[in-house]
Amino acid sequence: MAGVPIGRRNLFSERRRTFLGIAGVGVALLMVLALDGIFAGAMREVSRYIDASGADLFVSQRGVRTMHMSSSSIPFAAVERIRMLPGVRWADPILYDSGAVTASEERALTYLIGYAPGRRGGPAPLVAGEEPGPGEIVLDELAAGTLGVGVGGRVETLGRSWRVSGLTTGMTNIVNSVSYVPFDDFAAARGLDGVASYVLVGSDVSTGVMVRRIESATGLTAQTRAGFSAEEGRRVKDMSTELMQIMTFAAFVIGLAVIGLTLYAAILSRQREIGVMKALGARPGRLGRIVLSQAAWTVGAALAVAVLLALGLGWVLGRAAATLPLVVEASSVVRVAVAAAVLGALGALSPLIRVSRVDPATVFRR
Amino acid sequence: MDEFAIRAERLEKVFGEGVIQVRAVRGVDLEVRPGEVVLIMGPSGSGKTTLLSMLGAMLRPTSGRIAIDGVDLAALPESRLPEFRSRRFGFVFQDFNLLSALSAVENVEFALNLAGVTGRRARDRAKRLLLGFGLGERLSFRPEKLSGGEKQRVAIARALVNEPAVILADEPTANLDSKIGHEIARLLRRAATEEGRSVVIVSHDTRLKDIADRVLWLEDGEFRSMTEMATDPVCGMAVEREGSSHFAHEGQTFFFCSAQCRDEFAAKPDRFAERVAAPA
Repeated sequence: MAGVPIGRRNLFSERRRTFLGIAGVGVALLMVLALDGIFAGAMREVSRYIDASGADLFVSQRGVRTMHMSSSSIPFAAVERIRMLPGVRWADPILYDSGAVTASEERALTYLIGYAPGRRGGPAPLVAGEEPGPGEIVLDELAAGTLGVGVGGRVETLGRSWRVSGLTTGMTNIVNSVSYVPFDDFAAARGLDGVASYVLVGSDVSTGVMVRRIESATGLTAQTRAGFSAEEGRRVKDMSTELMQIMTFAAFVIGLAVIGLTLYAAILSRQREIGVMKALGARPGRLGRIVLSQAAWTVGAALAVAVLLALGLGWVLGRAAATLPLVVEASSVVRVAVAAAVLGALGALSPLIRVSRVDPATVFRR
Repeated sequence: MDEFAIRAERLEKVFGEGVIQVRAVRGVDLEVRPGEVVLIMGPSGSGKTTLLSMLGAMLRPTSGRIAIDGVDLAALPESRLPEFRSRRFGFVFQDFNLLSALSAVENVEFALNLAGVTGRRARDRAKRLLLGFGLGERLSFRPEKLSGGEKQRVAIARALVNEPAVILADEPTANLDSKIGHEIARLLRRAATEEGRSVVIVSHDTRLKDIADRVLWLEDGEFRSMTEMATDPVCGMAVEREGSSHFAHEGQTFFFCSAQCRDEFAAKPDRFAERVAAPA
């Protein structure tokens, strides 16, 4: 059994100040968690098409590793070579581009996928209507809502008009959505002939073996679905890293200021008592532990508050704004906990210096 | 082992330099035996607090030597002084100086923790001591819920719990009424008589003379002979006979800190005369 927990007692005897401090640090940590969570949510959405495609592998033009911000072109001859390879269960080409779908005055950014209806790479799951026939398009239900159209409505993209034949779900994220048109219509609208953007492959052998087999036979780049999805996430992440770093740093500075001021005020208000403790024989290490325990309690409680609020916020956003999912990942909590520990240690520095300077002889002064 | 619990020799403390130099304590010698109560009196600014700080190992003297229980304080490195204080000294303060976030029993327990006693052992010992001081009903009370007398009893329990050789008390009765003040004085006397502790009290309270084995007068940083001192019958302050206002009444001479006190006495001498136990 340890000694009297004086750090905790001191901290929580000033409830209002302590709770304000915890709330301040908690909000700062929440900012980091929420940013992380929104980013994690966006990452999941960004690669949703790839993850839901059902393909074991994605084949692209040599050196092309993502869909986002990429252009890939594969001749049909290569598609046929892939189909002939042993262990290939199926291989379906898709066309891909990013653009916008418009209706009346409304506009929704979209990834456009051209696929052969009845084959892989199309809309899944369909929640209304059917796969697109010639001159038809399938939209995500949220994008359709934004455009104010439903099944049977008309939209513009790729420089022509399309009839909405069906709606998917879960394919809209904070940035854009995914729309599907027939492969041949896509090619005609873009003036493409005999090429695909990517090839989706189903494999009967291990994906590692199949990657090597396709790459040596065609000279193209093949990746597993998970690898392709991770590359996609990394590409988007790289583009947002600086912004995330700036916002995280801002939140960190706010948290540092709050915890520093909270601990400093707590020590300042008990300066005489620190002197008493020194007079009674408290060693510097013991006094340091008192300050650090106050810091630990503050950041620990603040972290708990931040995690609970982030989970609550994620729940609310999940219901109120489907395009803005907030996913609190364990890795994110661990990262923020480490940051909080650093925050606490830094915030305790100034109070520690103050404590070290208190003269025990002050107890005899009035 | 030294026969004295406290032995201070030619203690000097000088603050500042040049024209702002102040000699707060000048060549003080003090020896206190185990079980002895020494009361140090003197006017404000006479160096009492500085002397107490030095005796309590919180302030290094400019020159001179202090030995506590035979241990020369100058020989102890700074890093060992806190541990030395926690085991060899008990402190009692005018403002009680209890730790406000802790309960009565935790305040006493904390002093034990500082001396290396923790856990149930510390808690039980702190409880036993407070029970002995009649504070059994107040163990879990925080200082704000205790009366002045109760706070000072907790403070004395805290001072005694590590069984120190020396108790240093700074105006221990100043914020208490006379009945409680007397009780606190009795506790300090008991610590000396029954437990053999050396008690050094710094105070303006002349009532504490009753429990003191010796009374010393500190003025301008030096001890003066108490035979040169008298008590002002009006305000109770100790005053030097030489050079102070005085007044003769029924064959006795009374000494005053100021002309105002003398005039007040002169107006109704019988009202004040009996306050002074043995005027010269």
